[in-house]
Amino acid sequence: MTRTLLVTGGGGVGKTTVAAALGVTAAKAGMRTLVVTVDPAQRLATALGLAGLGHEPEPHADLENLWVAMLDSGASWRAVAERHAAPDVAERLARNEFFLAAAEHFPASQAYAAADQAATYAQAKAWDLVVVDTPPSGGGIDFFTAPAQMADLVGGRLLRWITGGPLPGRRFFYERAARPILRIADTVLGSDLLERVTEFLLDLRTTYDGVAQRGREIERVLKDASILVVTTTNPAPLHEAIRFYRTLPDLASTPKAVVFNRSLPDSWADPPKRLRADVREIVDRWSAETVRQRDFRDEFSARYGATVVSIPLTPRPPTDLEGLAELAVSASGMPWADLGIGFSQ
Amino acid sequence: MAGTRLFLVSGKGGTGKSAVSAALALRAQRQGDRVLAMEIGEEGSLASHFATTPLAFEPREVRPGLHAMKVSRPDALLEYLSLQLRLPGVGRFGGRIARAFDALATAAPAVREIITIGKVYWEVRSGRWDTVVVDAPPTGQIGSYLRAPQSIKELVPTGRIRGQAESMAGTLSDPEITRLVLVTVPEEVPTAETEETLAWLDREKVVPPPRVVVNRVLPVLEVATRPTGVAGEMVDLHQSLVAEQQIWLDRLPGDVQLPYLFGVYTPAEVAANLSDGMEAVL
Repeated sequence: MTRTLLVTGGGGVGKTTVAAALGVTAAKAGMRTLVVTVDPAQRLATALGLAGLGHEPEPHADLENLWVAMLDSGASWRAVAERHAAPDVAERLARNEFFLAAAEHFPASQAYAAADQAATYAQAKAWDLVVVDTPPSGGGIDFFTAPAQMADLVGGRLLRWITGGPLPGRRFFYERAARPILRIADTVLGSDLLERVTEFLLDLRTTYDGVAQRGREIERVLKDASILVVTTTNPAPLHEAIRFYRTLPDLASTPKAVVFNRSLPDSWADPPKRLRADVREIVDRWSAETVRQRDFRDEFSARYGATVVSIPLTPRPPTDLEGLAELAVSASGMPWADLGIGFSQ
Repeated sequence: MAGTRLFLVSGKGGTGKSAVSAALALRAQRQGDRVLAMEIGEEGSLASHFATTPLAFEPREVRPGLHAMKVSRPDALLEYLSLQLRLPGVGRFGGRIARAFDALATAAPAVREIITIGKVYWEVRSGRWDTVVVDAPPTGQIGSYLRAPQSIKELVPTGRIRGQAESMAGTLSDPEITRLVLVTVPEEVPTAETEETLAWLDREKVVPPPRVVVNRVLPVLEVATRPTGVAGEMVDLHQSLVAEQQIWLDRLPGDVQLPYLFGVYTPAEVAANLSDGMEAVL
């Protein structure tokens, strides 16, 4: 059976690095592991052997049992058209400017692509573990709501609003002048734009049954997945982490743990009192920061009953497989068994 | 008396964009400006940086002379339709129209952005403010907002919105009015994203050349001899972090640097602390 591990969190917290470190650890423990990443930093991409690779899972050149894939956010919209629309409609959609714009700008596009691909790899049964680095859009929550949002969009919510009624036929263009909403839209945007958008939506509507069914499959995979929330003690990512603990139990499962990345050692909270002035300049700053971190971590754990994992702050993020493995070793409190990863320290 | 100045603050998520926006607004308020701070998007944290309750569409005075508001798209659209276009029927069909357009905005490129950036434009033009500070969407999305007036001109052959798009484009590209502030931190990914954004802006020329603000810069502190124990560990980490950050500082334009704030607990304290360094941005 394939286990799926979703690594979520706000932007800039080192989520991709943590996902990669977990994947490397699992592969080293003998599990056939796939890491799916979103737009990794240059140095991390190099460490994962991603430089110059396409979007399909590829075995890592230097580590047995490790596969790596990079998310292709445009792919899902193309797949929606190819899988679920008639060939002529799919072709028309692929050329449609609004289809291309929606693929790029629909807020949940990247999240839908990630969720769709995560589900595809989980269903492929080719791996023991699939680790997914989730995209940050919507504070990370989009990943879990994207299948429903996509079905909603395709299903004609927009069409109903524009036409003010049930599913329209093409003749609606000729009756348009009768509807106040459309009169206003005409004045503001010009009739040509509205006509082209509606045509696109009518084409997209034909994919609804397929998209809705696929959405339910994706949601099943996400509900069965284990979740880790990565954060730092900076206010913005911490705020996102709190949102996950409040929202996720309704959408998926309760997170297995919250990972505080870039943590300072607790022993720094209480430094020696007698120090030279030049040393004190540095020590006062870092001990104040350590105390703040500890307070934020303690409050989070008390309020949400979360398993807390700390990964120490290092001067630079890991840049090779060894560094990623060491980062996993340095994580204190990681519930390895709960995540299904065989790991002994 | 010079006209209203507009500061659009963007940056990669997590770099302190909202904190810098709030700090900028506070600094302008302190020098006696009538200031409007605007938040765009659902996930903003501008209110917490002013230590106030969640913001609404109606500007609220959060400090003497400093108002803050949140641009929500349905509200901005209704206001646009009724006040700017003076369309009949908006009152009666208001809710439905706003929802229809909001749905339309998901599919039609630039419609969502033009409504939001349009609200900013009307506030700048209103003459009520000396300084308007916008906590704008992150760098990943800022391009589609800044380019929205252009996109509308390309997409919409007729319609009243097209005429207004011309005027908006003019305001956004006027160096006397508009300044884009890009917030970043001296790390690999934010540095790369800043470079990409700068290159895009250089190509598109939709706003005047931006000002880059590097946030969370560690101070260079020399130590005569390395101490032992915990103090030694702290000195080692500090010096390695300073060396690492220098790699990215060397690559970034050094317009303005803001200090790393150690042991500061609340967003309001962060904004107040950073506001001292905002002179160079104003």
